Amino acid sequence: MDQQGQNGLLATYRESWRNRGTLGIALSMLLIAFYVVLYWEHKVEAQLGIAPFTALAESVGLRNRWYLYGLLYSVAMIGGAVYYLRRHGNSRYNRARITVNVGIQVALGFSLPFIMPLFGGQELYFSYFWPLKYDYLYPQTLESVPLYFAVYTVVGSLLAAPVLALLYGKRWYCSWVCGCGGLANTFGDPWRHLTSKSERSWRVEKLSIGIVLVVALGTTALIALDWKVGGEHPTLHRIVAGNDWRDWSIKSFYGFAVGAVLSGVVGTGLYPLFGPRLWCRNFCPMAAILGIVQKLGRYRITVKPGMCISCGNCSTYCEMGIDVRAYAQRDESFTRASCVGCGMCAHMCPRGVLKLESTSRRSLRVLDS
Amino acid sequence: MRIVIIGNGVAGMEAALAVRAGEPSWDITLISEESDHFFARTALMWVCCGQMSYRDIEPLERDAYTRFGLRRVRARAVGVDVQGHRVLLAGGLSPVAYDRLLIASGSTPRRGPWPGSDAYGVGHFVTLQDLAWYEHEIHGGASKGDGPPRANAHLGATTEGSPYRLRESGAGVHGRLASRPAVIGGGLIGIEAVEVAVAAGLRPSFFIREEWFWPIALEPREAQWISERMRDHGVDVHLDHEVEALEVDPIGAVSAVKTDRGRYETDCVVIAIGVVPNTGWLADSNIERDEHGGIVVDEALHTSAPDVLAAGDCASVRWFDGSRRPEQLWYTARDQGRVAGQGLLGTPASYARGTWYNSAKLMDIEYTTAGLVNRNLEGETHWFFEETGSVRSTTRIVCQDDRVVGFNMLGRRWDHTVLIEWIEQRRSLSWVLPRLHRAAFDTELVPPMQVPGG
Repeated sequence: MDQQGQNGLLATYRESWRNRGTLGIALSMLLIAFYVVLYWEHKVEAQLGIAPFTALAESVGLRNRWYLYGLLYSVAMIGGAVYYLRRHGNSRYNRARITVNVGIQVALGFSLPFIMPLFGGQELYFSYFWPLKYDYLYPQTLESVPLYFAVYTVVGSLLAAPVLALLYGKRWYCSWVCGCGGLANTFGDPWRHLTSKSERSWRVEKLSIGIVLVVALGTTALIALDWKVGGEHPTLHRIVAGNDWRDWSIKSFYGFAVGAVLSGVVGTGLYPLFGPRLWCRNFCPMAAILGIVQKLGRYRITVKPGMCISCGNCSTYCEMGIDVRAYAQRDESFTRASCVGCGMCAHMCPRGVLKLESTSRRSLRVLDS
Repeated sequence: MRIVIIGNGVAGMEAALAVRAGEPSWDITLISEESDHFFARTALMWVCCGQMSYRDIEPLERDAYTRFGLRRVRARAVGVDVQGHRVLLAGGLSPVAYDRLLIASGSTPRRGPWPGSDAYGVGHFVTLQDLAWYEHEIHGGASKGDGPPRANAHLGATTEGSPYRLRESGAGVHGRLASRPAVIGGGLIGIEAVEVAVAAGLRPSFFIREEWFWPIALEPREAQWISERMRDHGVDVHLDHEVEALEVDPIGAVSAVKTDRGRYETDCVVIAIGVVPNTGWLADSNIERDEHGGIVVDEALHTSAPDVLAAGDCASVRWFDGSRRPEQLWYTARDQGRVAGQGLLGTPASYARGTWYNSAKLMDIEYTTAGLVNRNLEGETHWFFEETGSVRSTTRIVCQDDRVVGFNMLGRRWDHTVLIEWIEQRRSLSWVLPRLHRAAFDTELVPPMQVPGG
């Protein structure tokens, strides 16, 4: 049966693993440890003499630990999707969104890079775009990938992604395609209520995501500059793109700080304590760009006037920390840059007050004739 | 100017914010016995099951009172000295003087008229303290680390019989959680109490006096569907049962519900037979009340006493049909609070309830209504459509003299503002049916309703 709203009450805060209880804290510690070992396995190996993930990957016949990570990622998404759909799969929007997202990740994010090398190709992720996949627009990368992929990534990052965001909102990417968003909305869904709704967290969000965006754009520009003139300026080249871990460069620092620490250790490791969209909300440069585009486009959350009872289910279950209730109780339809269009505010609303829309505004409320 | 507002609910808070927006320097005091913070009473059920926390149901940041300069007194008001312009408080606290007063004291649950209604294990589901009681009965307490701040801060300044006193739970007396709860009263609070029990994994009994659930709003075919959903979820729905008594065991806790049809064992009873204006404390205050206890107000929400206004559930306002009754809804309280805020500022404003509308969610079935439904109008006819297939819904359009006067919708989402517009434009059924899809407020991807003849 197709229903539009919540089916059966949730016991969210009564479950220790979901209410920042002992289990939640333990889970978070475990996830952080997982990412630290994954990213800095060479240091673990230097200390303890074993490289656990590499050893495990090899024992199951995978080429390296990143394939193991891809496998675990897919398993986590599928498991999380089952958990989510058992609760909220009564709505067609939720079913479609989760199915497409998991399908894309398993097919493009995990299987394709796994299959391509078998046929002599490179590992290419069709589901990621610059600036989230920050190195895909580096000229050095574009030179090294097949032409079709170079065209795909340039057109996808610079044209298709923003245009689709104008038409449908950033949700087309953040909630239907993206792997980070997909993990958040499946494996991370049980903790969505933990994202802070405070005004302070909104101020922090605007500041931090702005900083990361500037850093991401700056890094890409510097790397392009290095590609152009780095040959004649060895110092510039060393500062921008020196590849040795110990010999810090801007490129390696960005990869470390944004790629490993913020999106992995912090972004996923803190799911059970601060909600599943910490990375998407505060740090993702792609979300920042698409969010700005979204404000200019057609996507909005329409509020049915006069019907809100201020219960706060919408705000509680907003994974981006948007205080949806603040708009709903003032009868204000709105578009927030951070909104990823997961649709859970509208789903949880017990009065059917909210509706995600990306139709042209003129088609609304044509009553006469 | 000293503004005093009795009640920290939506009417009182909206009024306070309106006054502050108009007059940055006036002295505003909110008196509340129930809670330090404004919260959404509509959301008690979600706190009880654990879907939301106490903090989640507060619409404002907790520093809102300091930010907007609103003084709070946590005490029970026991009367108004109309001549002396003072609010009298319980617990020997000194009276609070006002220049203009707003009474927004809300509703209080209607007490059970049966023997045993005061036993351990018997309660209501209206106040924050009721929530705490029910949480204790079926869960043993609040979710981890949760609960309202300063939950007991009013206990030094309250009276016997106050609806905001904390009740000892039957679970506490017995030393075990309720396992067989019963709910009496077939309305919205009743079904909420039932849903919360279902969510806790229990099989509640639901005693309804009428022949079908919520007859004030639904007709038998509609109510049949709701009852079916409740039974699917393990609820024992007892229709057409008149409760006669609550049996009490030797330690003073409820043990059974006795109706005209039989005896049903239980260990926890939620009495949900409606609410009455919380105005008993005004008995000696010389402010006019109607036969329901509602404070009589004019269009500007002024009471019979000078400089005293009333808004929200406690105020008896003029309805569209000319009758005078309290409106016990969230959004009417909010709208009245805004008008009262203007009144406190001395700005002319009047409250007029437009065409009736409401919504609810009954188990997992969404409900929207607008206009005159279940009013037994002279010569009314019904157009009824039951949709089956991937979406299940019912649509009932009430007509009078070929004009559409009301809509009653289950299972889908509708924009009531469009429905109201059609009612006010006095459209005919044959005009409305082909355009019904324009009032649809369905979630994206939900297949639109195919209206026969539409």
